[in-house]
Amino acid sequence: MNLSIFFRKNLMLLAILAVLAGLFAAAANGMESSDFVITLLRGLSVGSLTFLVASGFSLIFGLLDVLNLAHGTLFMIGAYIGWTVYVRPDTFVDLLTPLALVFSGFMLGDVWTILSTRSLFAGGTKRVLPWAGILVSALILVGVLRSYPVSIWNPEDYAQSPVSISYLAGQGQNILPPPAAFGSISPLLALAGLLLGGLLLAFSLSLFNAGKQAVSKRLGWRSFAGFGAFLLAGIVFFVFNDALTAFLAALNTNWLFLTAVTVAVGAGIGLGALMETTLIRPLYIRPIYQLMLTIGLSAIGIEMVRAVWGRPEFTMPRPELFAGTGEACPATSLSDWWQYHCSTMILLDGRIRVYNEIFVPIVGLVVLAGVWMLLQRTRLGMVIRAGVQDREMVEALGINVRRVFTLVFALGVGLAALGGVLAAPSIGLSNMMGESFLLNALIALAIGGLTSYPGAALGSLLVGLLQQFIIKYGQIGIPIPFTDIIFKPTPPIVPASTILLMVVVLLILPNGLLGKKE
Amino acid sequence: MAKNKFFSALKPNQGSLITLAVFILLPFVVGLFNGASPAQVWTNGSGQSKFIQGLAIEIFILALYALSYDLIFGFTGLLSFGHSMFFAVGAYLTGILLKNFGFSLGATFGMIFLAGILQALLFGMVLPRVKGITFALVTLGMASVFHVLVISSELGPYTGSDVGLQGVVAPEFISPASQRLRLYFVTLAILIAVFMLYKRFVNSPTGRVCTAIRENEGRALMLGYNTFYFKLAALALSSLTAALAGMLHTIYQPIVSPNVAGLGYTVTALLIILIGGVGTLNGALVGAVVFRLLDYGLRRYIGESASFINGAVYVAIVLFLPFGIVGTWRLKSAQIRQGWERLAKLWLIGNRRD
Repeated sequence: MNLSIFFRKNLMLLAILAVLAGLFAAAANGMESSDFVITLLRGLSVGSLTFLVASGFSLIFGLLDVLNLAHGTLFMIGAYIGWTVYVRPDTFVDLLTPLALVFSGFMLGDVWTILSTRSLFAGGTKRVLPWAGILVSALILVGVLRSYPVSIWNPEDYAQSPVSISYLAGQGQNILPPPAAFGSISPLLALAGLLLGGLLLAFSLSLFNAGKQAVSKRLGWRSFAGFGAFLLAGIVFFVFNDALTAFLAALNTNWLFLTAVTVAVGAGIGLGALMETTLIRPLYIRPIYQLMLTIGLSAIGIEMVRAVWGRPEFTMPRPELFAGTGEACPATSLSDWWQYHCSTMILLDGRIRVYNEIFVPIVGLVVLAGVWMLLQRTRLGMVIRAGVQDREMVEALGINVRRVFTLVFALGVGLAALGGVLAAPSIGLSNMMGESFLLNALIALAIGGLTSYPGAALGSLLVGLLQQFIIKYGQIGIPIPFTDIIFKPTPPIVPASTILLMVVVLLILPNGLLGKKE
Repeated sequence: MAKNKFFSALKPNQGSLITLAVFILLPFVVGLFNGASPAQVWTNGSGQSKFIQGLAIEIFILALYALSYDLIFGFTGLLSFGHSMFFAVGAYLTGILLKNFGFSLGATFGMIFLAGILQALLFGMVLPRVKGITFALVTLGMASVFHVLVISSELGPYTGSDVGLQGVVAPEFISPASQRLRLYFVTLAILIAVFMLYKRFVNSPTGRVCTAIRENEGRALMLGYNTFYFKLAALALSSLTAALAGMLHTIYQPIVSPNVAGLGYTVTALLIILIGGVGTLNGALVGAVVFRLLDYGLRRYIGESASFINGAVYVAIVLFLPFGIVGTWRLKSAQIRQGWERLAKLWLIGNRRD
């Protein structure tokens, strides 16, 4: 009884899935089993990476109604940050102190709000003051940071460019340059300047909101604790700079890779929170301009990446666990692989790369399960799901939706950054990787249902599989029945095929495969 | 008295008339600044003036294209990500008909007209099924299919695949090389005609219903309007205009890049009307001027990393001009006028004291 109702309600969905399964079976029939396994696993791999971008995008779109077109750029930034931590830990450690010191000022948010409500100035001065503050703090920060020693690569010079550094690191010959030393500025002055600049910047930014929000007159100890913690962290990083660099450089690459992933995800979460609170938040009342803002941010992000890491593409070496070569490789079984850490293994006669085709899909599955648990089993997840359904109602129930918005945006960007850093060793780093993945993710979401989380997974899987099968058939050709013609799909058909699938699915089921009917 | 009436009719349109005069005089004034007499400019002597004319023609074409996007997005509220297809079909069809089939310009225009209607019908086919962002994605799909067609190697002899369409010889009387001034005025005249037509359309009962659809489609339906036909009408007009812009693009540009069929070119239209102000016809014009000049100036003076500043300008516009240039101007114009009046008063008082 229930089954027949289910059938009737989801007839179209089941029909589409049946057609896709039929196509899949046909595709499997047309190639050898080794080719099939490789293509299948590659599809899973691309699907997992797409899923990491798409899931964050879908969460943000569902709850906040923001079409975040900068999501692909954030994916790319995650990859580049991960690369930096992995290959050049010295640069990463050098940057920690300035970041912690500048950020410590922002931890004193409560103090600034209370100070800014005591209107010491009136009229024109009050309007000019925040701008003047930002200008002065920017001058201080730029002045200090220009002479602050950060050991960094140089994309202009080939020998010191990320391309050759990556190459050397891949050969296991990565040698970090000697740490940069303080030159024109005394260390104490530099640290004080950074702290002052951060404090002034935070204060000036809070002046914009003066009188716009309710203030509790009591100062909590939390903001001071946060300030102290960041200040302490900055100083500790400064004192133990060399020791930390040496520690990271001597670390096993597996652990270093894990550190890189953690840092990239953390940076993504931080960037997301910063973006939401400063730029996206004023735009909830005029949603269409969010498109322009995110397009602009995307252009800025791409140019910054180009300026810092250069335009050429490069790769990130794989961690030790997936980089083994030698007589015992390719491994023939998982236990064999675990013993020799081979980079490739033989599975059903097909030779596959362990990192790309086994590790990445597994991480994708873990993230799928983890976020699914978060959404279904926690209080925050409940609020998010309720917010996707009806935002005003959640607000009316007395839940601070603003904070949930920031959390979700940060989480979404964090997922994109995770995708980026995972993609780096498998597909390499390029300035354009973000855009193609954003388009893929958008297509995957449209196929699966824009605001549906399982839909994002299903859509990404379909997009990944379809692309990889078309690429494979582009190599071996499809014999057209009853003729001698062998049709070889050309490269432009790869993106077009997924888009066509999207159009067909949307015309039959306008809300996507698993989207809610309105 | 008659004279008075004439001037009183001019008064409310003084802004547009001044703009028109500026654009008519622009080639000659630029010529004068560079030491070329108006006669030289008139006979298409090479120089700075010719270059500025070229830039202006590009701006006019962009403005036409942005106007067409503003009509469906800004007025009717249809978010389409496939708008570049309208433009690209016009551009490629013109090139192929002129080059491979030897059509005359008039016949080409007829075909463009037909193609424009057909495209609108094609997009119209999916209109009843999908709404909102889903419509945007479906149209993106259609445009991508066209993009793949354009860059496929099978159609290379016609479209030039990856390289782009080249070798189109524009008819002699509006050739961008020898008769650029004439092309300039032709493009300007087309832009003005289309602008007037759009103004009429937007203020007509049909246009009003389109605006109502943007604001609340359900309510428009309840009032008894078959919204589908109104959306289709807006799409048809928009598609025709975009195809016409594409035609002018092919006539002016020596090479039509396949990028005009891509998603990026739709985003260009979106950015232009966001800069100018969504749902304002003047906004599309102002946006086109700002967009092209910004792009040109930054590329020329900053070079490769110009898109950084470009992106920063977009963010700044979003934050400080919340409804685009024209939209914000309309909101604030009362305040600005008051400010000017206050200034004028101050100045007058100061003068009286002397």
